Amino acid sequence: MTTSTTDPRLLVHAYVDGELDPANALELERQLANDPALAAERERIEALRRTIAERLPREAAPVGLARRIEAAVGARPAPARIASHPSWRALAASVAVAAFLGSGATWLALSPAPADADMIVANHVRALMAPHPVDVDSSDRHTVKPWFSGRIPEAPRVVDLSNDGFALVGGRIDVIGRTPVPTLVYRVRQHLISVSALPAGRAAAMPAEQIAGYDVVSWTDDGVTYWAVSNVAAADLNAFVKAFRAATPEGATPNPSH
Amino acid sequence: MVSLSSEDDQARFASVVLPHLADAYALARWLTGDRADAEDVVQEACLRAFRGIGGFAGMNARAWLLTIVRHAAYTWLGKNRSASLLVVDDLEAVERQQASGASAFGQEPQTPEAALIAGADARRLEAAIAELPVPFRETLVLRDVQGLDYREIAEVTKVPIGTVMSRLARARRRLMQRIAEGEEKAGS
Repeated sequence: MTTSTTDPRLLVHAYVDGELDPANALELERQLANDPALAAERERIEALRRTIAERLPREAAPVGLARRIEAAVGARPAPARIASHPSWRALAASVAVAAFLGSGATWLALSPAPADADMIVANHVRALMAPHPVDVDSSDRHTVKPWFSGRIPEAPRVVDLSNDGFALVGGRIDVIGRTPVPTLVYRVRQHLISVSALPAGRAAAMPAEQIAGYDVVSWTDDGVTYWAVSNVAAADLNAFVKAFRAATPEGATPNPSH
Repeated sequence: MVSLSSEDDQARFASVVLPHLADAYALARWLTGDRADAEDVVQEACLRAFRGIGGFAGMNARAWLLTIVRHAAYTWLGKNRSASLLVVDDLEAVERQQASGASAFGQEPQTPEAALIAGADARRLEAAIAELPVPFRETLVLRDVQGLDYREIAEVTKVPIGTVMSRLARARRRLMQRIAEGEEKAGS
């Protein structure tokens, strides 16, 4: 939405929905500060959204519906098909994995502690279930980064990826083991992506994997290992990682316009 | 030609359509206003989705399914509740006229405090949403109940993003007024 001539009473809805681009959002914030009637409207919209989200009864699809539809198209749910074929191959594979794990502690020492990936997923899941997935709630990286600076020794690299379709939601501090770790949260469509930044010495990046249905991707740049976790499509997560790595960090803008 | 017994299609259907069945049912229920009718609409939509599954190119599965559900619901409404499908242009013109009339007489429609909205009764809220004209209702449900973003709603309802925004604003405004009216009645 880029029309700054549109009625602010209309735009305030897009603002509350996080649909305004940064320039228009800034302009609207200025108007909100100067116009109590508009600010009251914003509060009403937010109250209405909360009320709908919290009070309106949700109804699951009737139990029989999925079965009738599956019967109509002859499709069975995917998991049942897998479960119905416990094969010797799966058994052989698990033996092979056990043998591989048992073959030496070197493999374990060189690979990242698997627990890190688990904890990163756990932090992401917990954030999704909490009332707020972030501790600092801002789409402005110039707000998010200083927030970290006041709390942990090293603030993470915060990049603006809104042009790539990934809106910054904010940041939070997760704890991995006993280490407080900065985590940024981005949104693509309705999904959140958490990116945690760990000192590279702690754990090497590892191949992409799936844990509990969440895709986890990690990579190392400039001595920092990043872990991105989300339930977006794998292609979206890869696009995110690519955009994140390619983005110019703040302070190194090639064309400083202001 | 799509073969009905294709294992591939069935697997795709199970992974693309079935995860969004609850959303499909919810939208159908909000549009038809009836549980049994919503089931019929969803079943019809799923059959269409299955026939079209080969053409699904891995975009947003939920928005794709909801588009089909909406279409099936409109077909159903056309057959059974044709009066509810007022032409939107007429509707929006009437609204504008009413709004300008009200402000000309210095009577802004009443707007409740945020606290009043926050305390609104769930049943009354549900009834107020059900009373919204279909184009406003579907926009509000897709956004505030199902959490789609404007682009997805524009895709599902086949209107420009600017229209999504204005319909959403109208829908929310109406709900606020209904809540205020309800409180007034309850209080008197």
